[in-house]
Amino acid sequence: MFTDRQPRSFLDPQVLARLSAVPLLARRPMVGSVSGRHASPHRGSSVEFAEYRKYVPGDDLRRLDWRAFGRSDRHYVKEYEADTNLRLVLVLDTSGSMNFASGEVTKIDFARRICGALAYLASQQGDAVGISCVADGIVQTLPPRRNAAHLRLAFDMLDEVRPAGPTRLPEVLHELAETIRQRAVVVIVSDLFCDAAALASAFSHLRFRRHDVAAFQLLDPQEIAFQFQRPTRFLDMEGGEAIFTDPIDISDRYHRAVQAYLADMKRIVLESAVDYHRVLTSEPYEQAVAGFLVGRASGRGLR
Amino acid sequence: MTFLQPWVLVALPLAALPVIIHLINQRRFQTVPWAAMQFLLAAKALSRGYSRLRHWLILLLRMLAVAAVILAVGRPLSRGWLALAGGGRPDSAIVVLDRSPSMQARGPDGGESKLDPGRRQLADSLATLRAGRVLVVSDPVRGPEEVASSEAIADLATAGPTAAAADLPALLQSAYDFIRENAAGTTEVWICSDQRANDWRPDDGAWASIRDAFTKLPQQVRFQFLAYSAPATGNVALRVSSVRLETLGRDRRLVVTLAVSRQEDGDRRTLPVRFEIGGVTSAVDVELTGREAVLTNHVIPLERSAEAKGWGKVSISADANPADNDFFFVYAAPAERRTLVVAEDPAAGRVLELVAGIAPDKAAATVELVPPAGLATASWDTAAALLWQAPLPEGRDAEFVQAFVDRGGQVIFFPPDRPTAAEFAGGVWGEWTAHGTPVTAESWRTDQDLLANTLAGTALPLGEVEIRRSCSLAGDAVSLASLPGGGPLVARSSRADAITFCGTTPAPRDSSLAAEGIVLYAVVQRAIDRGLAVLGNARQADAGAATAALAAAGAPWTRRAGAANAPSTEAGLHAGVFAAGDRLVAVNRPAAEDAALAVADKQVDTLFRGLSFARIAGTAGDTDRLVREIWRAFLIAMLLALVGEGLLGLPRLAAAQPAARGVGSVEAAA
Repeated sequence: MFTDRQPRSFLDPQVLARLSAVPLLARRPMVGSVSGRHASPHRGSSVEFAEYRKYVPGDDLRRLDWRAFGRSDRHYVKEYEADTNLRLVLVLDTSGSMNFASGEVTKIDFARRICGALAYLASQQGDAVGISCVADGIVQTLPPRRNAAHLRLAFDMLDEVRPAGPTRLPEVLHELAETIRQRAVVVIVSDLFCDAAALASAFSHLRFRRHDVAAFQLLDPQEIAFQFQRPTRFLDMEGGEAIFTDPIDISDRYHRAVQAYLADMKRIVLESAVDYHRVLTSEPYEQAVAGFLVGRASGRGLR
Repeated sequence: MTFLQPWVLVALPLAALPVIIHLINQRRFQTVPWAAMQFLLAAKALSRGYSRLRHWLILLLRMLAVAAVILAVGRPLSRGWLALAGGGRPDSAIVVLDRSPSMQARGPDGGESKLDPGRRQLADSLATLRAGRVLVVSDPVRGPEEVASSEAIADLATAGPTAAAADLPALLQSAYDFIRENAAGTTEVWICSDQRANDWRPDDGAWASIRDAFTKLPQQVRFQFLAYSAPATGNVALRVSSVRLETLGRDRRLVVTLAVSRQEDGDRRTLPVRFEIGGVTSAVDVELTGREAVLTNHVIPLERSAEAKGWGKVSISADANPADNDFFFVYAAPAERRTLVVAEDPAAGRVLELVAGIAPDKAAATVELVPPAGLATASWDTAAALLWQAPLPEGRDAEFVQAFVDRGGQVIFFPPDRPTAAEFAGGVWGEWTAHGTPVTAESWRTDQDLLANTLAGTALPLGEVEIRRSCSLAGDAVSLASLPGGGPLVARSSRADAITFCGTTPAPRDSSLAAEGIVLYAVVQRAIDRGLAVLGNARQADAGAATAALAAAGAPWTRRAGAANAPSTEAGLHAGVFAAGDRLVAVNRPAAEDAALAVADKQVDTLFRGLSFARIAGTAGDTDRLVREIWRAFLIAMLLALVGEGLLGLPRLAAAQPAARGVGSVEAAA
């Protein structure tokens, strides 16, 4: 099915092979266009019995349960669960801050790997995959499709996207909540360096639209540790004003600010039921994606 | 604060190193692209008052630590509480010691005197200062004595206590002379004294010239005054005012008048007073109720076999100052009361002959009328007083009179009928003034000298003496009695205490001195008594002045009593009894030593105005060192500064660790 032979720096076949063992499942019923492996809010033709329903004229006589008619002398139609595909919308933060790296891996590289792996896995199981690259707006977007050519386009987009500009993630998420037509799994890959209250509002909006929202927050170890030995001039990667300070002097206050932000974020994701994963870019991305997939597999059966 | 190695202080600007390093560190900043700006902004927005304060405190403590190390290397010295005078190691140090009896007063614990810790502290201080040369000035006549090492000051024989008053102006003049002639480079003059007025003589005109002289010295001279000005409490001083030998047939007895005094009012006390005469001891109790008690005419019978000449000692029990508990006296048969009268006016001469010829006791008194031309043949050696009513002596006559005065004779000059321009002892007779209405003396000194009150405290009736004619006196004299308008009636020569000028004559046309004979009689007899004091074989002398008396005795002297361990070169400075030929001399502290009158601190400052002067308060029995090296204190200060710097740095580290743990825990939860 996947015919893209072009090598992609963010795809590791061995990692993908290992991750393929766990299906990508939605936490909520999806409304797909074709049969798939995801629960649907509608009745369908799967082997899983759902309920009996009284026969009404026009129903397919092949679905009439004769045994029930023999027992009760009434006509019942046997209904089964429907399985469908899902729409996976990857929201990739491409603001300037995603280009930060204290080590070898930038946050945008790390995000590419996560997005690439998820896109591939979804495509492999017949789900539609779309990507939205966002910064101070929607920079590039690829609506969800489920064909192999579309996956190649998605990989191309991941390849070509370059981080730049400021972040307006909450506004962009509001916009996406309105523009994604049907229920979808919305996976946000970002450092989430924006106003926590605005972000909470955006998450709630997506949830209101019955989207299954997941978020990978990418953090660089240096952003947490904040270990500098010399006075430093910090250049804002999103074009803001530079700050000159002695990190030794303000490290305690910086750590307090980080702690407060992380606590806020934890509260927000709990309140808005976001499948939240905080990931350090020094960790293997396979671990992050596997955790994401396994967490969802355990929630199978929700309709 | 002074330093033994002040050149090290050149490095003191190094204390700014922490700030400079801080500034350099600020300049070599790094530029980092940063994503999590929102945390940085939040961190900067958080309260930074304490952080900034801590930052500057750390810098300050680092500077203090560096400064403390530099100061410690400079070997700082602590000089008591003042330490105002700067400077390092002096080239010469001159110690001016006040060895007067009042310096022997002990502290409240009764241990050491003021002089002992003074000498020890001076020795310690100069040893610490490592002065190039150390000299001690304790006697203006002897001048500065160089000592091998400063430690020797404490044991120097000529730096021990004496009974003589210290003449501070003379001592400082002696120090100045030495500095001018010998000392090069910086000199420190250390004065150790109890600030008594009779030692310092603040009214002495010499102070101004000494001050000017020191100011003009090319080398730097610093004065350090170690002041022991606290008076001794509970001290009682003993003084014998007169000793008279009386002979009644074959029996002889001593009539002693003495006084015990104290400087502050106190409870009624009974003081046992011990007399020791020729190995025989007797005692009498004296009730001391106020500040002074006088035992008048205490009779001590002498053995028949005793000589008509001898010595004794009166003493009281030990108290705060042992130097004024003993008093030596000598006695001998009184010399003949012989008076020379030179008078050009027979009327005046007759009156003078009468008043001089009647002794107050039954002793014989003789008067020799000497014509002005017969001075060469007069018996000068046996006369106690000279009454001179003639033009002031000139030429050879002046030499006779001057020799008489130098020997101790007393002279009273009365004005001649026709005053000349002759001058003697600073006095010159002026013009006669006839008073139409007789005048009387307006004021006179009743506390001392020839016109002093009687022993009973009654003033002489000088105010009843009518002055009909008076002769003015020009020149250098101290007025003892003055006429209306301020002119002197009676004056003492400021050059010689033994010379008195009387501005009128006892002739009836000039005054009623003859008619109101009491005043003239008292004045003349007092002068004769003074003159007799040096004529007899027994003589009382003040310590200090006794040196000249012993030297003038004309025979080798031997010590009969007193400080046996005192150097023979200082015999006249110590209390005791000395025998020179037929004469006995009792040496005691001067009467002024018993008065605890101290010079005010401000006045002392005034005396050293314009000079580098610092005073350090000392106390008797003080064992602390005056000058000490205090580099340890600076090292401790450095350690404290470093500990403080470390403590201020601690909270920063403590805050960083929980932050790291917090992230980890959140990660684990996620």
